[in-house]
Amino acid sequence: MSPAVLEVEALTKRYRKGVLANDGVSIQVEAGEVFGLLGPNGAGKTTLVSQILGLLVPDAGSVRIGGQDVTARPERARWLCSYQPQADAPVDGLSPREAVELVGRIRGGAPTAVRRRCDQLFGELDLIGAADQRVPLSGGMARLTGFCMAAVRPGAVVVLDEPTNDVDPLRRRALWALIRSLADDGAGVVLVTHNVVESERCVDRLAIMGAGRVLSQGTPAQLKADLGAPLRIQLTLDEAGSEPAGRPPGLAVSNVTGRRMLGQMELADVGDVVAWAKEQQDQGVVSEFSVGPASLEDAYARWVESPEESRL
Amino acid sequence: MTAISVPMAPPSAGLVSPPRRFWLRSYLLLLRWQLLRQRRLLVLFVMVQLAIGVGVIYGFAFLVPSITPSVALFFSTGAATLTLILIGLVVVPQEIAQGRMSGRAAYLSALPVPRLAPMLADVTFWVLVQLPGSVATLVLAVLRFHVGLHISALIIPAVALTALTSAAVGCAISMSLPPMATQQVSQFLSIALLLFSPINFPLDRLPLVLQDIHRGLPVFYMADLIRGALTGRHQTSVALAYAVVGAWCAACLALSARAASRRN
Repeated sequence: MSPAVLEVEALTKRYRKGVLANDGVSIQVEAGEVFGLLGPNGAGKTTLVSQILGLLVPDAGSVRIGGQDVTARPERARWLCSYQPQADAPVDGLSPREAVELVGRIRGGAPTAVRRRCDQLFGELDLIGAADQRVPLSGGMARLTGFCMAAVRPGAVVVLDEPTNDVDPLRRRALWALIRSLADDGAGVVLVTHNVVESERCVDRLAIMGAGRVLSQGTPAQLKADLGAPLRIQLTLDEAGSEPAGRPPGLAVSNVTGRRMLGQMELADVGDVVAWAKEQQDQGVVSEFSVGPASLEDAYARWVESPEESRL
Repeated sequence: MTAISVPMAPPSAGLVSPPRRFWLRSYLLLLRWQLLRQRRLLVLFVMVQLAIGVGVIYGFAFLVPSITPSVALFFSTGAATLTLILIGLVVVPQEIAQGRMSGRAAYLSALPVPRLAPMLADVTFWVLVQLPGSVATLVLAVLRFHVGLHISALIIPAVALTALTSAAVGCAISMSLPPMATQQVSQFLSIALLLFSPINFPLDRLPLVLQDIHRGLPVFYMADLIRGALTGRHQTSVALAYAVVGAWCAACLALSARAASRRN
């Protein structure tokens, strides 16, 4: 096991208004790994990230980067971490290339190395055509520029706060590959995302957060195994809110959002569950359903929907 | 997975601690950032400053009907000081407030740059923008009122210290007040500077109380430093003027630095 490049221990942060945003959060990120931070809005992900970067002072606990305690020395944290914030980077009046090169130089890069790296990043993301334009950037372009600003001269820890938002599907694929390559080149990548489905292929380990705490952490495989149900069923309800009746005992419903209902089951219960779903479809309560292996989204939904129940 | 052809620098290489000449490097890069981002409006900014310079020389003639060379000397050298002080007290706080609202300040706060470097880069940018206007004012004053100038090399430290001190005061104000209050205070200060400060007229024209107050404030000394460096004639001791302005500068920079590195 390689040494942890980022060690967060029992981090607690209460805002002045009394909100307990982080409550004893502990995570470890190794060099060469992508660590996902998942959780609903208000779970405390951005607060955690801000403390790692030294932008917020923890009330208790410690943050160590490369073995050094940075809680008291935030300027060290800024050298050791490169960061893509949740809000778009302020690049008004600049072309994407100018913005990325400036940050690369500010982070200590030599001009030629920074330019080469810039070309490479824009090339991978198919942004060469837009790189020198100074027009106001679309949401996706601004997001990608912000990513390149964090990746042009990566720190020992690279913190990415929702890098894939607003990015089109093809470029998102290239973006996931670049995030992966940041870790392959030796950085510890902390990835805050709501994109549970796509991140499953990229993250090595992850923590699911809720109400300021880490609800569960491990590899995607471990989290799925913790579900105790290897299969999932997804139903599309005919009408939002009209939950189908007579649910078979083998089906554990983890999440209902609008017309979408998600549940998990053991292999032995598939027959019962599918028969029930078909019956519901025939009655017009369910418009369609599909069965497959349980995914990270199932684990996420279970934890976020009913954390108390999941802990049992 | 996409093939990555160019190897990346190992993350720890060169990033654990600041590079050499970190302060100067950060400052110059932030200044470049400011120049690039404002380049579209740069010409406009410079034109406005030029117009103000011309306006001061021709406009004050309407206000004061008989302009003698000594009055003209006060006006033309005072205009240069006044614009420098206004940049620090009005423009810099506005930039800071705008930077806070647009997220620029938050972004810069996560970059490895010295806490005061963004403010210094902003001040430098605005002084550069203002410089052509100040030079035009002086040239016009010489041409129109036959004002005699004796410019010494001390003009460089005088302008630098005046600009930096005003910006430090403005920065300290805007960092200790909410944005709306900052706006009100800077408006009050610009009127106070224009009408009740010995910049465009000698100190002894003010009531005694204001004279006493101004002996503790930096404005009178700033004006005297710049006027002295342009004309060779001072109203007060140069050493005292540098000491007072320097003390204000140090105190306000310390306040601003503390405010800039304050974390919640």
